[in-house]
Amino acid sequence: MDISFSEQDLQFQEEIRSALANDYPSHVREKQEQGMVLSKQDMIDFHKFLYEKNWAGYNWPVEFGGTGWSPVQIYLFLNELAAAQCPTILPFGVSMVGPVIYTFGNQEQKDRFLPDILQFNSWWCQGYSEPGSGSDLASLKTKAVLEGDHYIVNGAKTWTTLAQNADWIFCLVRTETTQKKQEGISFLLIDMNTPGIEVKPIITIDGDHEVNTVFFTDVKVPADQLIGEEGKGWTYAKFLLAHERFGIAGVPVCKVQISRLKEKTAHYNDLDLNKKIAEVEIDLMALEFTELRALAAIAGGGHPGAESSILKIRGTEIQQRISELFVEAAGQYILAYEGPDGFESNKTPAGPDHASDSVAHYLNFRKTSIYGGSNEIQKNIIAKAILGV
Amino acid sequence: MNLNYSDEQNMLREQVLKFCETNYDFADREKILDSEAGYSPENWKEFAELGWLAVPFSEDNGGYNFGPIELTVLFEEFGKSLVVEPYLSSVVMSGTILENSNYSAKQALLESIISGVHQISVAYAEANIGYNFLDCVTSLDAKGDNLVLNGSKTIVLNAANSNQFIVLAIHNGKPALVLVDSDTSGLELQSFRTLDGQTCGELTFENVALNSDALIASGDEATSLFNQMIDVSILCISAEAVGAMTSAYQKTVQYTKEREQFSQPISNFQVLQHRMVDMFVETEITKSLLIKATLQLDSKDAETSKTISALKVQVGKAGKYIGQQAVQLHGGMGVSNEMSIGHYLKRFTVIDSMFGNTQHHINKYSSL
Repeated sequence: MDISFSEQDLQFQEEIRSALANDYPSHVREKQEQGMVLSKQDMIDFHKFLYEKNWAGYNWPVEFGGTGWSPVQIYLFLNELAAAQCPTILPFGVSMVGPVIYTFGNQEQKDRFLPDILQFNSWWCQGYSEPGSGSDLASLKTKAVLEGDHYIVNGAKTWTTLAQNADWIFCLVRTETTQKKQEGISFLLIDMNTPGIEVKPIITIDGDHEVNTVFFTDVKVPADQLIGEEGKGWTYAKFLLAHERFGIAGVPVCKVQISRLKEKTAHYNDLDLNKKIAEVEIDLMALEFTELRALAAIAGGGHPGAESSILKIRGTEIQQRISELFVEAAGQYILAYEGPDGFESNKTPAGPDHASDSVAHYLNFRKTSIYGGSNEIQKNIIAKAILGV
Repeated sequence: MNLNYSDEQNMLREQVLKFCETNYDFADREKILDSEAGYSPENWKEFAELGWLAVPFSEDNGGYNFGPIELTVLFEEFGKSLVVEPYLSSVVMSGTILENSNYSAKQALLESIISGVHQISVAYAEANIGYNFLDCVTSLDAKGDNLVLNGSKTIVLNAANSNQFIVLAIHNGKPALVLVDSDTSGLELQSFRTLDGQTCGELTFENVALNSDALIASGDEATSLFNQMIDVSILCISAEAVGAMTSAYQKTVQYTKEREQFSQPISNFQVLQHRMVDMFVETEITKSLLIKATLQLDSKDAETSKTISALKVQVGKAGKYIGQQAVQLHGGMGVSNEMSIGHYLKRFTVIDSMFGNTQHHINKYSSL
């Protein structure tokens, strides 16, 4: 047994690290270091930077314009990004719809969509959940009816992250009502500028506008924007979920958060807090090694299975725990709070400077045990797939 | 042994319940929070007319001779609907200090609080002292026959609506409580919204000149008045938390019965049932410590402070658990600001952070 990385992998890591040190756009870096909210343009700039470095397709095969990196290289790359305080790469294009298009789309669709995804010329969002279909995703009702060379789409998608910025949405739609609800679902790409689409913000409890409900009323979608076959959407969706799991544990971001917490609270000499930080650090150490075990299995040719549910459950628990410790450390000074953008510069209340983002982050991160298949659903998956009960 | 509420106490509960049912659904509350004052002056007037603002005060001071039990009845009902009117800051905090003091002007001040025309906030927290409020830096010094106040106070509840402040300061090396008019020259106010949508403020005192009769208490008397005020305030927000816990678990049960996934109400799933049972159990356990602390405070038991710390610890832990689980079981709806449930989580977070958080009171308990 050997968990060390190869010479080449370490050299690769060093290359990424020094490239980030030199070229990571400073205006994005500064905001990230100060815990400030990034604008839409900041996000675009960051993703364009990835493209310029030829990193945009970090998890894609070479033939579609990707890096062709090994799972270990992808792992090291994502670690370095987090350690350099980069924002999380938006998964919707490059990790979600992109792999579906290059795996199941036709040549024309590949030519049409893949370059814009890599170059971040198009911002994608995900049309999966519906008001009545969350954990039970396959019960979705948004309907697409073929009329000539167009589908007519009616329905609503919800919890759509950053739909307000999106140019395109990939949707699971029902093209047929079937006995088995998983059948009759299709995978459709829709231009967000199509008439009949309305994006309604959902403000979350931290006061932020991150998610939306997207309404479709008689939206005319060219039939050539259907991916693969009608009725096979559920298969594609499951394929996509397997891709989404990469890095789901969020270990590198947690490491950055823990060191930030230590730095912000070092001068308190608060033994009780320090013990709690140590406990969560131990949990994180164990999770990191669990992730490495999964990585070793994949590198050896295995497939990520239900074990990725462990990473999702423990990862989100640790992320939430760290956010709680930030709040605890800020004590009563969390009380003055005016929203996720913080205070106007001439109007900052007393107390530690992390108080306001701590509470924003704490409230925002309640979502992590709910999204991407709630942690209850993840436990069902483990019970069924691993324990066999 | 009898742990039943009296008829009078039950009537008070009914009255508050009815008021909240008529005037305090979630949309009403949102509208109130969106207003500039952050509370409803009409509701405040009604509180005064219903006699609620007189609840904790003795008859001599224009009150009903009620005590901690009645206060917890009020607050438990307030907590169910997340009432935002400044009862805690003006009536409980300022009222408790004044009521127990020997301050010459207290009767007039209490009457003005009871009538609802006047609001007073206690300025107790500072930037660098955490929960050790009595170790403050704000200073009250003698200057001839007069006094001069310098320093700053933070997270003063309801500050922008208050006519006066009771400020905790150091006078001759010891704590003192001093009354300051909000329009006094040298006093500056910066107002903020709180995490749960209410208002608070930061006060800065620059050579604020005060008459010697502004001094409410100093030395040991001030310390004792202040500590009593903290105990009563913790009791009240704990009762509020118990009310909020009750609503949070009940709303969650209701939601899981209505929400269908996999062709059935999600309340059918045992894992969710057990989670909701735990929420209920935590609520009941918290209620037990609340009643114990209430009775001890009422009888001026020597162990009161210890029980108050125990209660605050339980409120912190249970509030966090119930608030987080209520959000989790509501799924995406739980993190949506348009639904009431996430606002319970915010209130639990605020309650835990006030007057010493869970860890602070674990430490205090073990030191007593």
